[in-house]
Amino acid sequence: MDPSFSTQTIQKVDTKKVKEMLNRRKGKMKRFLSHCAHCSLCAESCFLYMKHRKDPHYMPSYKVINSLGKLYRKRGKVDWKFLNEIKGIVWRNCVLCGRCYCPIGIHVPSMIAFTRSILRSQGVYPQRNEISAESWL
Amino acid sequence: MLDFIQGPLVSISIVVFILGLLFQVFQFFRLTRKKEWGNPPLPQPMKPEKKTIGQQIASWLSALNGTLWKTDPVLTVVTSVFHILLIITPLFLLGHNTLIRLSCGWSLFSLPESLSDGLTLIVLICGAYFLGRRLFLARVKAITTAYDYIMLLIAIAPFLTGFFAYHQWFDYETVILLHILTGELMLISIPFTKLGHMLFFFLYRFFIGGEYSFLRGSRSWSW
Repeated sequence: MDPSFSTQTIQKVDTKKVKEMLNRRKGKMKRFLSHCAHCSLCAESCFLYMKHRKDPHYMPSYKVINSLGKLYRKRGKVDWKFLNEIKGIVWRNCVLCGRCYCPIGIHVPSMIAFTRSILRSQGVYPQRNEISAESWL
Repeated sequence: MLDFIQGPLVSISIVVFILGLLFQVFQFFRLTRKKEWGNPPLPQPMKPEKKTIGQQIASWLSALNGTLWKTDPVLTVVTSVFHILLIITPLFLLGHNTLIRLSCGWSLFSLPESLSDGLTLIVLICGAYFLGRRLFLARVKAITTAYDYIMLLIAIAPFLTGFFAYHQWFDYETVILLHILTGELMLISIPFTKLGHMLFFFLYRFFIGGEYSFLRGSRSWSW
């Protein structure tokens, strides 16, 4: 088995790197987060939300607020546990199909993709033994 | 303090509002660049199909099916009415325009007072609807924080106090002072809080090219 997929060995988070990545795109991302009206109108555009009996955890806005939003709120000062908590939000609960619709024009997929790249930079990504038929892509 | 709220703070809030919006527009153009088209744009149809008025209306109505009207018609109507009236009502209010004419020598036309009163009431009803959604709808509750209630209050408070002042409910002096103060607070908040979607709705939907943009979109994000 490919060792990179077996168990994740990196335990220490390079918070400086996370902070640097967050700062590099804060102009766009913080504006998106700030302008989200928390109206929930994006919900029905997500097929995972519809498939999971309208579970709010699958709403596009919920996913970005609780992943990238938290990363910015914590200013990148996060630990391994936190990154693993949001891993499921950005990989399992979203397939990046790009169908989410925001009436204000906030581009949710770019926020999820950006969060994934931050997590990936710290070696946090779905492991082969975690991937199931349940939308881990 | 009272003189400050009724005098210089009015000008300060208007200046902060205008300069804040200009700053945000400047920042938006700094953060975006002219879109480079990978492929040449698709050719436009040579001649638009000729439609009768009936067919045209049917075509517009069927286009609505691809919008939020299909998934949540009540909210679509409420939010559209709310946002339009939020701008129109204070702009064409007799009391406001009288004060503007006194200080600037000109003003916009004014709607009849009874109509403005009715429109204010509609804004308040829409606000109550939004509050109800936040309190009782699971999906909205899931992403609601205290900040959302504060922002809703900031947006609604000038209308609520204005309604009270017009009907002279409670102590008029206090209510009108609160009306001025909450109006100033709203103006100052718009460029720097989530109320900024008032401006960014147009920037995101009209300028950024994408599947959901209203026009073709001439810009894309630099990062």
